[in-house]
This record gives sequence, structure tokens and C-alpha cells, in this order.
Amino acid sequence: MINISHATKVYHNKVKVLNDVSLEIEAGEFVSVVGQSGAGKTTLVKVLIGEERLDQGSVVVGGWDITRLHRREVPFLRRQIGVIFQDFKLLPKKTLWENVAFALEVCGSQPEKIRKIVPSVLKIVGLEGKEDRYPHEVSGGEKQRAAIARALVHQPKILLADEPTGNLDAINANEIIDLLLRINKFGTTVILVTHNKEIVNHLSRRVVTMDHGKVISDQEKGRYLL
Amino acid sequence: MLLSLYRIIKFSFQDIARNVWLSLATITILLLALFSINTLLTVRMISDSATTAVKEKIDISLYLKSETPEADILALKDRISGMERVREVVYVSKQSALESFREKYKNNQAVLSALKELGRNPLSPSLTIIPASFEESALLINELRVLDSPIIESRDFTDNTSILGKIGAITKRINEAGLFMISIFILTSLLVVYNAIRVAIYTHRQEIEIMRLVGASNFFIYMPYVFSAFIYSLLSVLIIIALFYPFLTLLQPYLEVFFTGYNVNIVSYFLSNFWAIFGLQFLAILAINILASLAAVRKYARV
Repeated sequence: MINISHATKVYHNKVKVLNDVSLEIEAGEFVSVVGQSGAGKTTLVKVLIGEERLDQGSVVVGGWDITRLHRREVPFLRRQIGVIFQDFKLLPKKTLWENVAFALEVCGSQPEKIRKIVPSVLKIVGLEGKEDRYPHEVSGGEKQRAAIARALVHQPKILLADEPTGNLDAINANEIIDLLLRINKFGTTVILVTHNKEIVNHLSRRVVTMDHGKVISDQEKGRYLL
Repeated sequence: MLLSLYRIIKFSFQDIARNVWLSLATITILLLALFSINTLLTVRMISDSATTAVKEKIDISLYLKSETPEADILALKDRISGMERVREVVYVSKQSALESFREKYKNNQAVLSALKELGRNPLSPSLTIIPASFEESALLINELRVLDSPIIESRDFTDNTSILGKIGAITKRINEAGLFMISIFILTSLLVVYNAIRVAIYTHRQEIEIMRLVGASNFFIYMPYVFSAFIYSLLSVLIIIALFYPFLTLLQPYLEVFFTGYNVNIVSYFLSNFWAIFGLQFLAILAINILASLAAVRKYARV
């Protein structure tokens, strides 16, 4: 599903944020990528969604080599990979329904399709009855659920979650992780980027540990090492 | 394509309505810029009209001997009318001169009594010569100075020569200063508008980032802002038209008093040049808005 080979990314200050990273992730896996701040986790996410380009190495997603992706192709990549972030990245002036629908509208989806998909993904994430609320009118957990719903509208094969529980309390964080596990059960590959030790240890799934831009450990049923 | 267009228009109107204070602030800045430009245009139009009106009032008079037969006067009139630099020659007979004099001093009993006391018409017939163009007045005066005719009693050029010189100098200065002022004003206004739009889009930077993260194409990211720029430009020009005409209507009576006897009509000037003035302003403000929008969105929409 995802093949990262000798990925290296150097910033202007000569710091190697990714240093010869090689990683293979199979379809349907749930992988936690852990590491301290500056380990290169978020850069890896940015590379996978075409926001950063590698200086060396290659990235192949579902048979599509995205290493030298043309700018025009980036929106198409992003419609195939669902992404959620720590700060939710919801449009503040749109309701939850509009936020979710927006991801479909910008791709030219027909209104009938939007009317069918949006309620179903909102139901999956447990936001029924809150569709007309604006992001500032719901809790952090609900914002993250809305972000997950938006990420799911394209029925992506891969869901990237970059510190999705970073702004949430323990209860909401566990609910979000449970939701990600359910999504994974449907067959979606989930890559969870986190430095939450409890969550990673509780999951007991594959754990890739990064430090200073390198993969220092890759365990099948791993634990948080650092 | 129609669906995309509909969505772009919908996103744009949603954005304008849901960021109503920002939209109002942006439109206010556009209005202030347009008001400044139109005010300057009004001042320039008034100064232009005033100088043109004064130029048109410039005439040259030849006073003729009192007892000259009318046939000789008409012959001289024809001779002068035939000159290249003459637009019109008006013959003012002794009788019409007297009537004008009486009309002019109708409230001055002392003058009228003195005239009555005199018992005869003391005024001379005259020919009033209107130059074909203001710029050639001086040359025409030179020609008239050497015009040979036994019926000419006196020639009234002296004051005109100095007035012509002064008006010429003032017009030149007004034109130079006006052009400079208008250029500075327009440039300042456009820079203010450019920055206002950039600031408005700066507040949307997070939205732009989110749009591209969810896979919006550049078309979907840019076009709602371009359409909003169109709406802002259209609204601001429509509002300035609605505000400016009453302002001009209020100003007109004061201008009429100030320019008594001259044809200075600011309202009809703006009406007859409506498309040239407001159409151009709309296009200019639209161009700068779109340019600013594209530049600002481009900054935040980089992949």
C-alpha cells in the first residue's frame, strides 16, 4: 500500500528531518508512528500528502509514485488520502455539515451524492443532530469527529492522523482512537502519528519509532520505547 | 462547469455574509478610495469648466464712430467675420448699447438721471469680436491692431491681453498640478485598496490552507475570492454612485451662485460622462481587487 524507500529531506539549515527512512505499510494495517518533537513524524505525513518533497528516496502510495508529484496532481492525491490534524483544521465559518460537504463539493461531486454521503459519515462518527453547529459551538472531541468525517467522505484507502488526540482530554482521546480502530476494521489503513505513550501501549499494534529523522525501531505489536 | 460556478458563487456569498464586518470594512475602504478620486475629479471638472467659461467670455471690442452709416458698419463686420481667427462678430448698435446700459444700471438712479439729463444717446456703436480659439486670441488682437478702417473710433484690447496671459498661465498650472495630484491620489487609493484586500485574505489564510488540504483544486481556491472581489467592486461603485449624485445635486446651487453667468453644471457633466467615469472606475477597482486577491491567495495556497 505505502512504500517509502530511503526517504531523505533536508531543510535549509542543513538539518536532516528525514534521514534515509524506509518503511513498508500493508493495506489494512494500523500503524503508530511515535517519537519526540522534531523526530520527523509530521514531515513524514507532509511527504505522504504531497506538501513536502523529498530530496532523496521515493514514496509510492497504492502503486502511484508521488515522489515527484506535479502541483496539479496534489489535489487528486489529497482526495485519496484522508488526513486529520491536532488542530482539527475545520473551516470556522462553515457548519459541521458544510465542512464535511466541502471536501466533496470542491471535487465536483453531485448534490445527490453529497446529500447521501455526508449524513452517513456524520452518523459513523456520532455527530447526528449536530450537523448545523459551527465548530466553535462543539467540543474538541466533536471537532475531531467532524474532521474524521470529512476525511472519510472520499472513502480513502489511507487515513493519516497527525496527533489527533493532542488537544483532547483522556476520555475524548480514547473515543477518537476507538473511532480510528473502527475505521481500520472497515479496511482503511490508518497511520497514527502520536507521542501519547498510553494510547500506543494500549493499542498493541505496529509501532514505528522515529528519532532525529531516522526509524530506530519497527515492532509488530510494539510499545512506546522513548 | 455550471455546478462549479454555482458553488463558487455560493462560497463567495457565504463568505461575504458570514464575515460581514470584514466585508463592510473592505467595502468602506473601497468607498473612501472612490470618494477621494471622484472628489478630485469634481474639483478638476470645476476648475476646467471655470477656465473654459472664462475663456469663452473673452471678447474684443471695436468702438465705431457715432455717426457711421449702418451699411459701412455691416461691411466692416463682414470683413472681420472673414478673418481666419474670428468665430463670431456681433454688431451692437447705438440703440442696443443704450438698452444694455439702462438694463445694467436699472437700480442706479443717479446714472439713469445723468443719462436723462444728457438728452441724447452718448454711446457709440461697436463690434464685439469673439475669437475662434482662446489660444489664438493674442494673434487675433495683433491683426485687429493693424486693421485699417476710418470708422473705428477706439480699440479695447489692453485689459484682454493681460487677462489672456494670466488665464493661460493659470490653466497651465492647474493642468500640471491637477494631473500630478490625480496621479498621486489614484496611486495612493489603489495601494490602500490593494492592501485592504490582502489583509482581508490574510484573515482567510487558514481557510485557504484547509481548502488545499481537503483536495480543492486551485480553481476552487482562487475563484471564490475573485468573485468576492467582483462583488466588492460592484457594490462599492454602486454605492458611490448612489452617494455621489445627491452630493453633486447639493453642490450644484452653490456652483451656480459662484459662477453666475457661466454654464457650469457638475451634475450633467457626471451624467453625460457616466460610463466613462464610473465604468472606468469599476474596471480599475476590479482589476486591482482581482490582482490583490490572486497575489494574496497565491501566497497561502502554495502546495
